[in-house]
Amino acid sequence: MTLEIENMTRYISPINPTVFPLLALILLGIGIFFTAWFFVYEVTSTKFTRDIFKELLISLVAALFSGFGVLFLLLWVGIYV
Amino acid sequence: MKFYASWSSLFKVLAFLALFCCLVNCGSINPNLNIKSADITINLHSQITKITNKLIVENKGQTVVSNLYFTLDGKQKEQLSYISALLRGHGRPELKVKKIKNSEINKAYPDKLFYSIELKDPLQPERTVPIEVEVVLTHELIPHPKVILQKEKQLVKYLGNLYLFSPYSVNKQTTTVILPSRNIENYTKIKPVSQSDSTISYGPFDKKGAFSQEELIIHFENNNKFLTVTKLERTIEVSHWGNIAVEETIDLLHTGALLKGSFSRYEYAREGKSGQSSVQSFDTVLPAAASDIYYRDEIGNISTSHTRIKKDSVELNLKLRFPLFGGWKTRYTIGYNVPSYEYLYNLGNDYILDMRLLDHIYDDMVVDEMTVKIILPEGSNSIKLELPYVSSRLPGSLQYTYLDTTGRPVISVAKKNLVENHIQNFQLKYTFPKLLMIQEPLLVTVALYLLFLLVIIYVRLDFSIDKDEISESKLRVAGQCEKILAAQDRRVSSYNELDDKLSYLKTNKDVNAYLSAIKGIQQEYKNATAAVTELAQKLKGEAGDVYDRIQELQKHDKALKELYNQQQSMYIDKLVPGKIGRQQFVDAEAAIAKKKEEYVEKINNVVKSLQ
Repeated sequence: MTLEIENMTRYISPINPTVFPLLALILLGIGIFFTAWFFVYEVTSTKFTRDIFKELLISLVAALFSGFGVLFLLLWVGIYV
Repeated sequence: MKFYASWSSLFKVLAFLALFCCLVNCGSINPNLNIKSADITINLHSQITKITNKLIVENKGQTVVSNLYFTLDGKQKEQLSYISALLRGHGRPELKVKKIKNSEINKAYPDKLFYSIELKDPLQPERTVPIEVEVVLTHELIPHPKVILQKEKQLVKYLGNLYLFSPYSVNKQTTTVILPSRNIENYTKIKPVSQSDSTISYGPFDKKGAFSQEELIIHFENNNKFLTVTKLERTIEVSHWGNIAVEETIDLLHTGALLKGSFSRYEYAREGKSGQSSVQSFDTVLPAAASDIYYRDEIGNISTSHTRIKKDSVELNLKLRFPLFGGWKTRYTIGYNVPSYEYLYNLGNDYILDMRLLDHIYDDMVVDEMTVKIILPEGSNSIKLELPYVSSRLPGSLQYTYLDTTGRPVISVAKKNLVENHIQNFQLKYTFPKLLMIQEPLLVTVALYLLFLLVIIYVRLDFSIDKDEISESKLRVAGQCEKILAAQDRRVSSYNELDDKLSYLKTNKDVNAYLSAIKGIQQEYKNATAAVTELAQKLKGEAGDVYDRIQELQKHDKALKELYNQQQSMYIDKLVPGKIGRQQFVDAEAAIAKKKEEYVEKINNVVKSLQ
């Protein structure tokens, strides 16, 4: 089968570029909250009270939200990765 | 079946015949073709030479002719930029023009350039066909004098052929030269000739043989922009997040008469006639959807530029940092974004990018050398490029920018000597798995997670040389206390729930429901108490005082629990069966509540001391 433009649709981004700023702010907000929680937990807990699962879980959530947040921040400022 | 077979064999014969005809035609010049009339218009208005040849071709032979030749002098090889042909008449359909290479005819006439024009419908014997051949040549106008003062006007010289350079004989022809101004220093006077305003008309001339030549020299004033893009680098970066970024780096050279002496800004500003041939600004036409336009040169941003948003384009008026005089050059970068839906088409995982290979820079532009780089998203494969005209494809490479791992595939195309007629679309087909888009955010996520892991590991490292037993023990006790307090919290919440259930029982008087409801609460309470006891045992050797306090806590808690049991039995045994008087009940309940409060107070004191 040969591809022809006539059979194709115009390509649009899976996420509307107008919501990039909103997504960046929300995701980064959540990400920063969890990051802060993680660091507060790391600083305040002692080696007898530390819970490795709690640390891993909080940091995973923080990394996920911050990761996606950073991506949308890049897209927002015009670095189209 | 038979029908089908006969048809296919007929096709084969036809195809063979066509091929044969072509071979015969390609080999030599058809002597039966004749050009009945030729109208040549040489437009020298701008810096480029646009020659429009309106021909009426006649077939005097007995056989059908399907294509004919158009020739140019071999000396024009370097200057020739664009050649196209069309059928004059309804709809003006474009005709296929192909350069003939390595053929018999090239050996017979090594100093000439041959182009084959394929007719839409074969030309029958004794019939004529009107066609139009457009030829665009660059760098043909030579400044004469080569060096001028700032206040002088620019004179250029055109050297060309007065007659149609055709492999066929021409019965009748006229030549018209269009110039930008009426200031003509000199021109070839071959009769019949007439000049009116800025136009020179030659002819009509009588029958001329094949490849007839007559030198045509015109020396005239031309102050239009003699600007050449010596090097154009165009980068098209496709992002599947909905954007296509275009950036052009342009090396601009004024190829008119060189400036003699120094440049006087004063004269330039004062006198309108000063620096007529210099270029101060020009307009670049960008796509209508262009946004985030930037324009800068080596030193930085140039803000003396304006955009005008039109209906179907964005016009960018660029005012260079300095006016360009003959021999002066500049280099700048211009860039903009366009949304992907303008140029990118999609079906499943297949994409087609349909975009201009070259875009407008200024009117009547000349581009000596162009390199186009198309950067696709990381992970694109099965790339197939279709170009609108012959260009050289450079080897592909990889580009690394933000959040790249394996690199983005880059497709490069180069071509020399381009003009406005080359503003045509290319098509780039490629495949891109949609799931790969998630790779970029995941890359950031993994990087951040590794950072967090590093912190998790770092806080577990102990670099101290000697072990501080006392503070260590303190920390351990504090840690145990924290856990005990957490268990105590659980007990408190058990009590609260119990209170709720008891008050519900008081109003509802449903003993069975109550008993089944408190089962879970009792279990929770027991677990918490057991945890406290266990944790307390660990502290026994390490911190005696804390252990004692916890024992105290346990004692008070036990008493409190006992009170709850009393309350519960009073409710179940006396209140529900109605064995107690109202006043009596209120008194008993108040007494219990008072005692409960006392114990809660005591417990809180112990908890406070543990914190």
